[in-house]
Amino acid sequence: MNAHQSVGIVMIEDDEGHARLIEKNIRRAGILNDIRHFTDGTQALHHLFEASDGPAKNGPALVLLDLNLPDMSGTDILAQIKAEGSPLKRTPVVVLTTTDDKIEIQRCYDLGCNVYITKPVNYESFAQAIRQLGLFLSVIQVPEVEEH
Amino acid sequence: MLTTVTNPLVVSEGRFGRVLVAFMALGFLALVATGIAAGWATGRNADHTRWVNHTYEVELSVSNARRLIEQGEASRRGYLLTGNTEYRDAYRRWAAALPGALERLQRLTRDNPQQVATLRILRGEIAALLVQRARTIALIDAGRIDAATTLFRTEASVRRLMTIRDAFERMATEERRLLAERDAAQQASVRVFYVILAVAAVLLVLVALASLLTVMRYTRDLAGSRDSLRDFNERLEETVHERTADLSRANEEIQRFAYIVSHDLRSPLVNVMGFTAELAAATAPLGELLDRAEAECPHIVGEDARLAVREDLPEAVRFIRTSTQKMDRLINAILKLSREGRRIITPEPIDPAAVADTIAGSIRHLLDDRGVTLTIGRPIPGVVTDRVALEQILSNLIENATKYLQPGRPGTIHVSGEERRGRVILSVADNGRGIDPRDHQRIFDLFRRSGQQDQPGEGIGLAHVRALAYRLGGTIDVDSEPGRGSTFRLNLPKTYEHQDSNA
Repeated sequence: MNAHQSVGIVMIEDDEGHARLIEKNIRRAGILNDIRHFTDGTQALHHLFEASDGPAKNGPALVLLDLNLPDMSGTDILAQIKAEGSPLKRTPVVVLTTTDDKIEIQRCYDLGCNVYITKPVNYESFAQAIRQLGLFLSVIQVPEVEEH
Repeated sequence: MLTTVTNPLVVSEGRFGRVLVAFMALGFLALVATGIAAGWATGRNADHTRWVNHTYEVELSVSNARRLIEQGEASRRGYLLTGNTEYRDAYRRWAAALPGALERLQRLTRDNPQQVATLRILRGEIAALLVQRARTIALIDAGRIDAATTLFRTEASVRRLMTIRDAFERMATEERRLLAERDAAQQASVRVFYVILAVAAVLLVLVALASLLTVMRYTRDLAGSRDSLRDFNERLEETVHERTADLSRANEEIQRFAYIVSHDLRSPLVNVMGFTAELAAATAPLGELLDRAEAECPHIVGEDARLAVREDLPEAVRFIRTSTQKMDRLINAILKLSREGRRIITPEPIDPAAVADTIAGSIRHLLDDRGVTLTIGRPIPGVVTDRVALEQILSNLIENATKYLQPGRPGTIHVSGEERRGRVILSVADNGRGIDPRDHQRIFDLFRRSGQQDQPGEGIGLAHVRALAYRLGGTIDVDSEPGRGSTFRLNLPKTYEHQDSNA
């Protein structure tokens, strides 16, 4: 990931266990970036758009998004991030969820999601997938957040 | 909403029929009575006519006899006055005709004692008269005209004639009196006939009116019941629509529920499996530590610790894994079913035989491995339905048939179909090991299986088949005998009709 400026990873995931497993496996892939974890959509949106240390105000970020959240659907967050005129329009969003419904996947890509990953139930596959994602994250370029 | 319908549809047809039959019987009875009366009246009339004729005949005979007597008298007097034999000849002719005329009169009046009595007196008088006349004629013939004239003068010929005339008159009068009597009787019978006719006519009119009223009321009732039937029908259709909509909604709800449940069950499962893996991974360094401890200072390693690390922990992890894997398969099955329920059905014309061919081609290796023969009983009637769903149903049924064979008997599978009242029934029959009758319903339930569990599977296939069959507006059932084979029958509508849940 971009070396000159640390890219923060924002993980929006309501399940603490999943979050822990994801973080563990990303770390095992050698990713050392800061990971901020939110368990509900409201706090996550606040951090993304309003917080002084959030991506909108403060540098590039990458979003790991679960679709099943207690207070809203992950697709709502995705739509807000990718909306026309959003400062985070170019921020990569990785949807990481248990749903493998075709329609849901199509909808996410239509809304502008960059990567869609289904969490495999089998842990070996899950760990494998997250580690590969970590490797993927280590090589992708994240655009600067537009200044307003 | 269902309202109780106070059966307006039965217009007591039985009662209506009985009333109508009664009226018709009454009408026919009246007609028969009229006919009998007419016959009787005609008979009476003919009788009367005969009697009138008889009277005239009697009168004619009476006057005929009188004429013969009067003319005989006239001829005798002519002969007496002139001596001309022509008068005598004429007299003989009249006298010869008289007995015939009297005979006839007697024949005609022999049924009437009064007439018979009168006639007897008359005949006496006539016989005496004829004797006198014969004597006169004989005297004239002998040339004794004076003696004849004297005889004529002294005889009481005029008085006797008067008596004879009176008797004749009495006979004629008697006959006319009888005629008058008969006339009166005739009049009476005609009156009776008219009365019967009038009564019958009134009865007929009444019956006709009553029948008309009954028919009209029945027709009105019928129209009423037809209307209420139509209303009821419309209401029923509405109710059916409502119910169908309710059912569709409930079905959707269940599917959504199944989807959400299975989906949400997956999340914790990921954790269970994930942390179990972490646990398993953690036992590796723990095992190494134990090895080192055993090597370096064995006294600190207790039996409990060794057992925990070497056996208990791996065993626990193994059990958790197999259970969670099974749970994962089950959840996936529910997810698959609920997803199938949400799939959009796209009906198209399909030849089931071609579908069976395709399936046979795709599982050719399976069939060959297991030595199973698949035959298709062509022709199979076409259906308009969802291709994917039909393919899945048939391939599930055919695959099942290849799986559950009767040991020691090469398997045969026969796919056939027939059309019956707007529906197509597709059958998949095998000669496999069969299904216990107790399980005929159970096998269609999710996660339920029957018989010896010697084949892999979760008990999903037939549940899936039934869900698909319902989805296509069809049904599925099985006919099977253990050891003989099974026949699965899929009953589908000939043309799939969309059941709109928003209707």
